[in-house]
Amino acid sequence: MNKTVTINISGIIFHIEEDAYQVLNNYLIAIKRYFNKNESGAEIMSDIESRIAEMLQSKTNAMKQVILMSDVDFVMQSMGKPEEFADEQSDANSSNSFDEQMGYESQHQKKRMYRDADNKVLGGVCSGIGHYFGFDPVWLRIALALLLFFAGTGFVIYIIFWIAIPEAKTTAEKLAMKGEKADINNISKAVVEEVEQLKKRMEKYGNEFKDMAHKNKHVPRNVAEKIVDFISDVIMNIGKVLLKIVGVFLIIIGLVFFLGLFSSVFGLSFMLDSVNGKDWIDLVLLEGKDLYLGIIGIAIFVGTPVIIMIYGGIKIIFKVNYTNRWVNLGAGIFWLFGFTLLLYVGVRTGNDFNKGAKVRENISINSYDTLYIKMAETPIDLIEVEDAIDYDEHENAYSKHHTESDYMIGKNANGRYLLGHSHLDVIKSQSDVVELVVVKEAKGSDRKMASERAKNIEYKILVSDSLIVCDQLFRVNHADKFRVQSVKVILKVPVGKIVYLDKTLENMLDDVDNTTNTYDGDMINRRWLMTEKGLKCIDCKGLEIDSSQAETEDSLKEENLNITVNGINLKAKNSQVKLDSNGVSIKSKDTKRTIDGKSIHIDTEKKKQVH
Amino acid sequence: MIQTENAKAQMRKGVLELCILSILSQGEAYPTEIIEKLKKQKLVVVEGTLYPLLTRLKNTELLTYRWEESNSGPPRKYYFLTKTGKTYLSDLQNSWYDMVSSVNKTIQNSK
Repeated sequence: MNKTVTINISGIIFHIEEDAYQVLNNYLIAIKRYFNKNESGAEIMSDIESRIAEMLQSKTNAMKQVILMSDVDFVMQSMGKPEEFADEQSDANSSNSFDEQMGYESQHQKKRMYRDADNKVLGGVCSGIGHYFGFDPVWLRIALALLLFFAGTGFVIYIIFWIAIPEAKTTAEKLAMKGEKADINNISKAVVEEVEQLKKRMEKYGNEFKDMAHKNKHVPRNVAEKIVDFISDVIMNIGKVLLKIVGVFLIIIGLVFFLGLFSSVFGLSFMLDSVNGKDWIDLVLLEGKDLYLGIIGIAIFVGTPVIIMIYGGIKIIFKVNYTNRWVNLGAGIFWLFGFTLLLYVGVRTGNDFNKGAKVRENISINSYDTLYIKMAETPIDLIEVEDAIDYDEHENAYSKHHTESDYMIGKNANGRYLLGHSHLDVIKSQSDVVELVVVKEAKGSDRKMASERAKNIEYKILVSDSLIVCDQLFRVNHADKFRVQSVKVILKVPVGKIVYLDKTLENMLDDVDNTTNTYDGDMINRRWLMTEKGLKCIDCKGLEIDSSQAETEDSLKEENLNITVNGINLKAKNSQVKLDSNGVSIKSKDTKRTIDGKSIHIDTEKKKQVH
Repeated sequence: MIQTENAKAQMRKGVLELCILSILSQGEAYPTEIIEKLKKQKLVVVEGTLYPLLTRLKNTELLTYRWEESNSGPPRKYYFLTKTGKTYLSDLQNSWYDMVSSVNKTIQNSK
């Protein structure tokens, strides 16, 4: 079964098979073109069509109602092909006659290179060049885009071409661009094509307008409506311009993000005195493939949306309507891949924080009655430690204030390392000797790793006689990574011993318990005596006492130790001992003993004895 | 061979007008008939060549035509010679005879 087309030739209806129709149509078109030059072309065509109709009629009857390919062949044989027409058109066109008898029309006149503004993406450069050399401009566009990555070579080349190659504006130029002879025939053909295009566009607009009017339900009739329409037109135009601006912004922002991401991840730092992302990633993540996977993952995860943004911006600006769903799909998948990478690396890294381990180190120290403990400034240059200094905007100066939980990255000749703050606690010793313990802690994927890391923490404490000097910071080497390392110094003081907390320990104290509930910050620069109940301040004249502790007040009154240059005054509940320049005086409930230079007086309730 | 085809076609082109006018001098005819008669004399011409020629001759008023309605098919043009055409034809025929004898003589002399 075949499809038929219904045509009419010279007013006679024919049913003709589809493929036969194609051939017949082309044939008629060819003849028409041939006779186009002839002034009587129309008449000749009509005669020919009439003859063709006659011939085809003879080919159909009740049994065979449809024109077949064989019939069309017959017609063509009989009528002859245009090449076969002995050129009747006389000497006026003689320059063509020889060529036409040969059956060819010389088409190749000199071709010139123009920019094709009708088929342009940017400036029609690639289209024009494609016409001249006879290849599809897409390849050239791809090549130039790739060249963009080589210091923007593609961009420069394109601009040069854009300037140098003129745009084909007139029809003759356009034909010359494509290499067609610019004679009346071709030009009229080109014009006809353009008119057709224009007509189609107008039709499209007309239809759109009709649809719009349909939606709006009425066509503007009066002045007021016309004004409203005009205003809405203006707004729409402004909107279009704004849209383009948005497009530009998208591109700019996208580029900035991209550059920022690029630089921070790949180690090119814009801001000189801040630690860049790569350093932290380097220290936190595992080395080797996890590090690279992580970087790639971030790059994809952040980069893909950024690139899509840039792409979207370009589309808006250059009015490219082409939305390739494969691009979107591909981008989405790519992005998911980046996400998966990040997830994987994240899980693996998280694993390394699973187990913790503590390593205890006892430092030998003699049990002096009074211990002095202070902090040593870890000798690190400002330049060396990055990001250690906070720029205080209010004071407009660099302040060294950082909380005790800050980790920092330091750098020296060997590379980068992690720094952390150590902490100090003073507690009651279980024995009657002074103990100094340094507890180092770290995390790892298993106890062994964690323990290794803890051991590797570098921290110095110096003890000379009764002076303890602790380092402010501890150091973690690069290989161990950041695994929540911490260092705690525990000073165990037996009852009756005194410890003096130097003011340098201000940030190092870690909620040291004491009997007066004093804050760490207030504990410094004072002496503290370890008692059964905890540390008690000796030096605390004028110190505000927490009034909620009534017991504390009582005990202060009950047990009063006063040491001055003049002497010692010990007051207890019902007794008192005085040591001063006069001598020794001991008073208790019943007895009063006084020892002075001359003699010892003992007074009891009952009698007085003098020795 | 292409070259002789070319020359032959040129020759045919030259005499086509003469032949057509001669045929029509015998009486009116429509294009298909003309082609048939030419074929009988072994002068093969395709209709695509004939139509433009007829139209030109008509335009130069050597020919004219009348329409004849047909039962089976579109109306046909029947061409016939005008007075001018008849005069033109006899003139042309005389030139032809002259040219033929000259050419014959020229050919006979060749080896």
